[in-house]
Amino acid sequence: MKLQLTKDKTIDINLPFGGSAKSALDITGIELFSPAEVDCPAVRLVHRKKSWHVATAGFVKAPNGELPMRWEDTPHQPIWEMPHEFTSPHAALAVNSTMATFAQSTADAIVLDMMAGISAQDSKTVAGDKTSSDGKRRFGIKREQQAQQPQKPSAKPESSGRKPTLPAEGTPVSENGRRFVVRPMAEDNFHLCASLPEFQTLWLSRLMPEGKRPTASSIQVSESALMASILLQPDFIAASGNALSIFVRQDATYLAGYKKGEPVLWRRCPGVGGTIVMRDAVRTTLGLDEELIDSVLDESLIDPRPALEPFVRPILSQLSLSLDYLASKHGLKFDRAFLMGVGAGASHWSTYAEESLRLKLVSPNPFDGLVLDKGVDPSNATRHLVALGAAIAGMEATI
Amino acid sequence: MKTASFHLNLLKTNEVLSSSPVRLRIMLPVGAILACVGLLVWWGILFTQTFIAKTQAHSIEEDLAAKNSAHAEAIQKRDLARELKLQLEQLEYYRSGVRSIGAPLAKFAEIVPLRVQLKEMSITPPRPQVLLPPGAKVPLFGPTENVETQKLVIAGLTTKETPVVSLMESLESGFETLVTGEHNVNSYKQDNTEMDGKRLLSFEIEYTMPERKFAK
Repeated sequence: MKLQLTKDKTIDINLPFGGSAKSALDITGIELFSPAEVDCPAVRLVHRKKSWHVATAGFVKAPNGELPMRWEDTPHQPIWEMPHEFTSPHAALAVNSTMATFAQSTADAIVLDMMAGISAQDSKTVAGDKTSSDGKRRFGIKREQQAQQPQKPSAKPESSGRKPTLPAEGTPVSENGRRFVVRPMAEDNFHLCASLPEFQTLWLSRLMPEGKRPTASSIQVSESALMASILLQPDFIAASGNALSIFVRQDATYLAGYKKGEPVLWRRCPGVGGTIVMRDAVRTTLGLDEELIDSVLDESLIDPRPALEPFVRPILSQLSLSLDYLASKHGLKFDRAFLMGVGAGASHWSTYAEESLRLKLVSPNPFDGLVLDKGVDPSNATRHLVALGAAIAGMEATI
Repeated sequence: MKTASFHLNLLKTNEVLSSSPVRLRIMLPVGAILACVGLLVWWGILFTQTFIAKTQAHSIEEDLAAKNSAHAEAIQKRDLARELKLQLEQLEYYRSGVRSIGAPLAKFAEIVPLRVQLKEMSITPPRPQVLLPPGAKVPLFGPTENVETQKLVIAGLTTKETPVVSLMESLESGFETLVTGEHNVNSYKQDNTEMDGKRLLSFEIEYTMPERKFAK
């Protein structure tokens, strides 16, 4: 159990019954504001009889209101109550926000990133009139849009000359209107850093009312949860935590490397979209309706290669680079890699990878390695990938 | 492997809300206040009980002091009563020890023969009592001996011995309260007094009187 003594001083307390007192044995992972879902995918994991069970997996109605994009929106704080089947003591929220960041970075780069808020604030002052003249203006993606972020007075930089320090491992810090959290990677000088605007974090932290199950014990960005989603996969555990994985989302594709269960690589494939782009390519190239895409990708009646290969090749190129990087830097050699998040057409991905990289892509069900309770449908597991990852990371257990 | 390595939690510890309906941030101050109130009540009860106990102890001490003085007074009165009772008893002894010799003496003249002239009748004084024994601070109220013996001495003149003997015989019957049978004729002497031309004899008889007993 962590006890925060002062702002910068936190101590760990080991309780006598062993294990980490922070381990959540009953936790619900929820993905918020998924671009592919109207409702929120939710997965409840319960530890029973020395194994993890998927007690419930489904979709809960989204909170009444949108994720605030400005400080001024935060007073409209909805109260979000979960259906009975998801009323676990803890909830791990994975949020999809255009203002969130998640990256593999060095300590200096993270500090610069934290200081960027100051620069952004200064540039905002110069461009203040422009911003204020457009009241409906929203923040863009990542840092470029932070420059236009209307800061709350309380979120102003404490002093323009102060240089922030790298946050302690796993300890969230607020800097220049953003919330940062850092974890070291298995590679020296590299860290995983996630950040979210302060007002969004506060809005999310107050979303679930106190005194009613569940309450938020974790707020993660969706990419962070995605990276943790394969930790309980039997193949991952069998490989002693050494793995390479491709995560395909609606709008982006990511590559993740693991060494002995620790992260060593996280990168977004540049210039490559996600499943939306893939499905568009299939639909336009093959002239199919949306309803037929899945069946075409899963069956062999029509060869989707002309439509699929232009999308997959750049990803495989990035995968090749990552394989070389992991082999040279960490001595990791793989003959198979995970392919997660691709509902249909995964076999084609594997074929292309075997042809070009002699690498087999396995696309397991995200619920593999978990005991499914009665009523849990594993067919929709891919849609719960982020929620599952949020729950796995949030439970902070030892596998 | 620890999943915590992948847990990039943006939620600060102080922002984590409890899902328990019992909110610690409310219950802890309330509990603390209740505990303080409980302690105050307990202290109040303790103080009141102590005060009552002290008051009762003080009252008991005062009562005890009053009873001690009353007890001493009662003891004193009891001793006085016992003393007075003893005195009364002694007086009763004296009352019992009163020797009534008036009535026998009134009849005495009837038994005196004509030839006898009594010159003296005396009762010897009793042996003096030691009323202040050695070591005693207060003299005794009564005699130390319960029995006191006295002598009745009868002296007179007679013409001859016979009337005296007659007098002695008369005394031995009907005068038990005055004399006992124990007597002693001390002497018969020729006196110078004459009667009818004859010289008279003087005599003296000593009778032991009945014992004077100081008892109930």
